[in-house]
Amino acid sequence: MSPGRPTTIALDCMGGDHGPSEAVAAAAQLSIERPDFHLILVGDAVVIGPLLDELEYEPGRLSLRHTDEWVSMDESPAKAIAAKPNASVLVACQLVSDGRADAVVTSGNTGAAILAAARKMGRIPGVRRAALAAVTPTEKTHGPNDDPFALLLDVGATLSASGRDLVTFAIMGAAYAQAISGNPSPTVALLSNGTEAHKGPREVVEAHEMLANLSEVNFAGNVEGLDIPRGSVDVVVTNGFLGNVVLKMLEGIGEVISELANDAYARKFLWRFGLTMLSSGLRQIQQALDWEQYGGAPILGFVQPIIKAHGRSKARAIGNACKVAVKAARADMGREIERAVSRVPAPEEEGAHAT
Amino acid sequence: MSWRHIYRWDLDKTYLETDFESLRRLVLIAFEKPEEKTNVPGSASLLRELGRDHEDRDPSRVCIVSGSPRQMRRTLEKKLELDGVRWHEFHLKPQWENLRRGRFRAVREQVGYKLPLLLRSRLKTEDGGGVGETLFGDDAEVDAFIYSLYADVLAGRVTTDGLVRVLRAVGAYDDAVDKAAATAEKLDDDDCVERIFIMLDRRTPPGFFRPFGPRVVPIYNYFQAALVLFSGGHLTPEGVVSVTRSFLDAEGHSADDLANFFQDVVRRGHLPATAMQDLGLAVQELSGVPNEAEVIWKSVQKFSDLGASRRFLPPSPPPGGDYEALLAHLRSRHA
Repeated sequence: MSPGRPTTIALDCMGGDHGPSEAVAAAAQLSIERPDFHLILVGDAVVIGPLLDELEYEPGRLSLRHTDEWVSMDESPAKAIAAKPNASVLVACQLVSDGRADAVVTSGNTGAAILAAARKMGRIPGVRRAALAAVTPTEKTHGPNDDPFALLLDVGATLSASGRDLVTFAIMGAAYAQAISGNPSPTVALLSNGTEAHKGPREVVEAHEMLANLSEVNFAGNVEGLDIPRGSVDVVVTNGFLGNVVLKMLEGIGEVISELANDAYARKFLWRFGLTMLSSGLRQIQQALDWEQYGGAPILGFVQPIIKAHGRSKARAIGNACKVAVKAARADMGREIERAVSRVPAPEEEGAHAT
Repeated sequence: MSWRHIYRWDLDKTYLETDFESLRRLVLIAFEKPEEKTNVPGSASLLRELGRDHEDRDPSRVCIVSGSPRQMRRTLEKKLELDGVRWHEFHLKPQWENLRRGRFRAVREQVGYKLPLLLRSRLKTEDGGGVGETLFGDDAEVDAFIYSLYADVLAGRVTTDGLVRVLRAVGAYDDAVDKAAATAEKLDDDDCVERIFIMLDRRTPPGFFRPFGPRVVPIYNYFQAALVLFSGGHLTPEGVVSVTRSFLDAEGHSADDLANFFQDVVRRGHLPATAMQDLGLAVQELSGVPNEAEVIWKSVQKFSDLGASRRFLPPSPPPGGDYEALLAHLRSRHA
């Protein structure tokens, strides 16, 4: 962070399913509520300006950075980033790289966000692949703050990961849980189809072997899918393909439970009565499953923080993502991960299982 | 005597930080001593600078029109004296008379009080013809509406009949309507109101004032007003420095905050393309402001950040000029 400057978030306003209106609403609200940080709204100022003008905001805490290019959700990330040098996500990462902002928040195209971060902010030495880390609600609480969620990574940045990549993900996830949740020694596990060390695909078995010999990580072995909602460990490591499937399934279950409850409430008086009796408990479940409160997933592996908010994010979720970004910037997340990664000896056959 | 310019100011929430949201606060205000009253940051400095005499230039005229009761005259005048502000007219509301005559509507209603008074003031200003005006109000009541209507009556864009219709719609008493109409008849058409500054005390979204046209400039602080006034030739660079310094003394903003305030007023179209050059000229004198080089550099950055989206909206009246529609718009906010 630059000394003498308030913590500043570069907010890519052009991504996401809802367009710039939700990002602008989040920024306006934060500018009033949070005097401790500033926001730079990156995007088409011709669109963003009038949206902002219709809201209550504190002008001293936010500014605009105009660009008329952006990457839409359905574009090919590599092609779009190559063709649009002034894409909003690239400009946001450039602001961080130039020292004008401390972290990036985007709800846009995940692939484009990763490429933009790699191009403008650079990877942490020793990290070959980035990982998207999401929090998932759990039965058991975690860390000194009794957080009701665990960290799951990767949930979509790197579709297939080598054993070495999974080890790096484990180190990054643990460093993140230490810095953000204040958990001094988070337990880390690999997601597999059995708890035994030899279970799972080759890269999981390899990662298991490496992590078991690594004193820097509090490795708890393998966990199965059912251990994720139970919260058996603080950090669950997997590749981006499986992680994304798991995350979306958990979100889907939450939404289906909520819809079923609403449906039951409408159908029969007796069910309505029962649900009313259970309403306080159901509300707690609903709150735990509410992804908007968790604020977005950090893309780990870059020198400076970049937080990816859900594509469906509305103002509340984007606001929470900005708060996570501020926390990550203030905790000097990138440097913490760099320190953790540097303590791990480089493997003899570096790159052998790169995908 | 000829005048350079006329500056008309409201007091509560425009010049003074006045909290009359509760009855308790209202009572406390009545008993506040002059030295206990707090300025909106930068207001005293700005009003002093606008009223300052300059060699080889005609003096400017300061007219204060406040909705505070006449019983507060001594306290308020003393406060202005303490602030080193000079004024030529000071009007307060005859609240006691309103109560005594049973005109309860007039106690709260502002259009029927301020508009006839402003028109009379313009009529009575000797050698006032052709002299430009800049008006200062806030978003707590209906200042943007009163000032815009005043400006368009002077300019001849609102006819006497139109004025009467609007005054009746706001519930003004017949004698106030008659006085306003009679005065308006006597005034020559004069498109003299340059800008109307509205202090966003209640943080009303600035877009709410778009129907009033770009002549109305919603501002978050007097630093923003000083920049616009400097670009219009109303303030010297030293004047901008003085306002900025008193604003900073009161609120302690960082260089980033100032650069953001600057970008905000540029973005909303109230500063011309030469704003950066103007600011450069002004801040050359910023020797007393902390981190002046940082303020300049960051403002330059924020100015360029707007890129092709930058635009300037020259001051102009409400598009369409339908004051009955504007009244409905205003009431939607205050309802």
